Amino acid sequence: MAEHSHWPEWVYVGVVVALLCYVGAEAWNVERLIEHVPEDAEIIKVTGQQWLWTFEYEDGTKDVGELHLEKGKAYKFEIYSKDVIHSFNIHDYTVLMDAVPGRINTVWFSPTEAGEFPIQCREYCGLIHYNMRAMLYVSG
Amino acid sequence: MKIIFGLAVALGLLVFLPSLQYALAVDAPGEYLDRRAEIWGMFYRLMLCAFIIGAIVQGTMVWLILRFRESNPKAKPTKYEKAGEW
Repeated sequence: MAEHSHWPEWVYVGVVVALLCYVGAEAWNVERLIEHVPEDAEIIKVTGQQWLWTFEYEDGTKDVGELHLEKGKAYKFEIYSKDVIHSFNIHDYTVLMDAVPGRINTVWFSPTEAGEFPIQCREYCGLIHYNMRAMLYVSG
Repeated sequence: MKIIFGLAVALGLLVFLPSLQYALAVDAPGEYLDRRAEIWGMFYRLMLCAFIIGAIVQGTMVWLILRFRESNPKAKPTKYEKAGEW
């Protein structure tokens, strides 16, 4: 084994290990950034149940099947489930979090564009799962 | 052995220090950011890494197969082949 040079193998191992370390560090850093909720975020309770979404704002008002937000403000969602596991997804804003019975999961985001965006359950939750939708309305 | 130990310590620190920092900073308020840009940006950077690693591994395998094939003019028989012991 000592008859030939090993440096190409060490370069190979070094490059791959360095890239994998970068992958780990980058993923950790982005996760840290997107998980820290701004101090002034409004808390909205999101409840999933077969087969609709209910949204309760900080002032106590509720909406079923529609969510009204303002562009540029931060919102923290507290996600509940009344029956089975659902998953709250706003595809256009890369928001995705499971709604698990007995647990409160949180996720936050800040809308950057005004408009209408679909909300969809992303965890198969029964017969009408395909139609467990809501609409996000962002005002400018 | 020293190299392996050093590598293990380095990798251990790479995992441990960020975890510690995260644990200490978890209550600090966050900043406004565009979640889409952060997540998709990370996705593209990590996919680039994945393809580079894939190219290195596949490239090495192709080189290895071509370089050490029996019909390569540079190929040398092993001592077992030389002695006809195989």
